[in-house]
Amino acid sequence: MTVRRAHSIPLLWQIGIIAGLLAIWQWAALIHPAPYLPRVENIVAGYVRLWHGALLWSAIVPSMYRLGVAFLIAVLLGSTFGITLGSLRGLDPWVRPVLEYLRFIPAVAILPASLLLFGATDKMRIFVIAFGSTFPVLLAAIDGARRVEPMLIDVARVIRLTIAQRLVRVVLPAALPSIFAGIRIALSIALVMMVISELIAADDGLGFYILRNQRLFLTENVYAGVLAIGTIGLALTLALLTFEKRVLAWHHGWRGLVDPKGV
Amino acid sequence: METAQPILQVDHVSKVFAPQLTPVLKGLTFKQEPGQFVAVVGPSGCGKTTLLRCIAALAQPDEGAVLHRGQQFDDPPPWLSIVFQDYTRSLFPWLSVRKNVAFGLRDLTKNDRDERVQAALCAVNLEHAADLYPWQLSGGMQQRCALARAIVVQPKLLLLDEPFASVDAQTRIDLQDMVMDICQTMSLSTLLVTHDIDEAVFMADKVVVLSARPTHVVEEIAIDLPRPRDQLATKETPEFLHLRHRVYTLVRQQAQKAAGGNVTEKV
Ligand SMILES: Nc1ncnc2c1ncn2[C@@H]1O[C@H](COP(=O)(O)OP(=O)(O)OP(=O)(O)O)[C@@H](O)[C@H]1O
Ligand SMILES: [Mg+2]
Repeated sequence: MTVRRAHSIPLLWQIGIIAGLLAIWQWAALIHPAPYLPRVENIVAGYVRLWHGALLWSAIVPSMYRLGVAFLIAVLLGSTFGITLGSLRGLDPWVRPVLEYLRFIPAVAILPASLLLFGATDKMRIFVIAFGSTFPVLLAAIDGARRVEPMLIDVARVIRLTIAQRLVRVVLPAALPSIFAGIRIALSIALVMMVISELIAADDGLGFYILRNQRLFLTENVYAGVLAIGTIGLALTLALLTFEKRVLAWHHGWRGLVDPKGV
Repeated sequence: METAQPILQVDHVSKVFAPQLTPVLKGLTFKQEPGQFVAVVGPSGCGKTTLLRCIAALAQPDEGAVLHRGQQFDDPPPWLSIVFQDYTRSLFPWLSVRKNVAFGLRDLTKNDRDERVQAALCAVNLEHAADLYPWQLSGGMQQRCALARAIVVQPKLLLLDEPFASVDAQTRIDLQDMVMDICQTMSLSTLLVTHDIDEAVFMADKVVVLSARPTHVVEEIAIDLPRPRDQLATKETPEFLHLRHRVYTLVRQQAQKAAGGNVTEKV
């Protein structure tokens, strides 16, 4: 009952606020017509155009493809290496300095270099996106693997699991809550890098679409593209949270007992 | 051949964690025959868990050796199982009780595995909770889950590190009977670490009394009370009371020694 109320009132408010903002925008666009202030219905029309037909294939799909592949690479690389590095303490002094150095390089800074390396290709964009989003996953996985309860490792040793089996059956599940926290950060970085990588020497993708329409002074399309990126980010985040909730149901139940306020 | 040899020999085992500290274990020696139930008692913090970790080959002694059937091991021997002291931390929170128990089983068909898990859960009376998660169980149930996981692999040697600490008195008594029963039917060799003297005398064939740090064996006391033992009848016999008195006196001496500073003594 209280839960329901606590949930529905903010939702109404949220819808109200969005409607209010749109109304103000529209009002401003009507009394002060300017190229940089297109009317709401034009933006909506541009937004809708993006999601079907030719634009879907030249703007949305290429972006999603790069984002998807790069994000997958980041998650796989980050968690595999992170869990391994976090568990094998002996490797730490060798790897840690390099990691600590690399993590401070903004992914944007390697864009020109990767352009030289790969040319203006999908590979280049995927590389840049993956580079930026691997680190949050990697560092979170290292951290999660380090904090695995040592007694669980002992349990695994007594039943004579090999090191690889221990990593998969004990360290990975134990570090998963931490890894998911890293993945959420990685997703937002991946979105940023996706757009940036498409602003340079591209001929498709959402970033390119926004840039081109800006040059053509088709501002409603610029805003529509921005909104589409927001939509993609929101949808992916929601999907990720849903997935996480299912995979980590045990963790929420467990933490809920330890700390009733929740994580 | 197997019966001729002790299942476990702890031979002058010493363990030092830091050179500037008193050694934890110093020349600790005892042995266990197959099928024997040995209880190790000693003051709190004397290194009982450290000893069990050395026995399980989870840690290596700095001096001396641990021999399983005459052999030295770098990794836990396949016939050894252990129930850790801190059971809340030793169960996998992401696995149901059933899967926690099945965790130790490999190289079996699914049918065999299900059967073994079911049997182990029955032995500890936990069938009804098989699909719950460990953190949804009471302390006693978690402990039984850890016990089921230890016996499902059908070990020869079972190590128990204060398995009944931090459960209430009634649960403790039930668990004692359950463990004795299981060890008897599976003809296990069991090594029980405890600081409860009644428990040690009641359950064991032999009680090994440890000193305070640096820890060694003060005395080994054979407990020749007949089996099956009964919580009431056995504990009222004069033999039980006499043995209990002896062990208690020894342990108290050690505790006083520990409290009065680190007096090193010759055995
Ligand atoms: N890995 C370690 N590094 C350093 N010191 C340790 C380590 N493990 C144990 N010790 C020390 O060794 C001593 C014995 O510890 P241990 O846990 O074996 O005692 P215990 O008899 O099992 O205690 P309790 O009765 O509380 O279970 C303690 O003083 C502890 O601080
Ligand atoms: Mg202990």
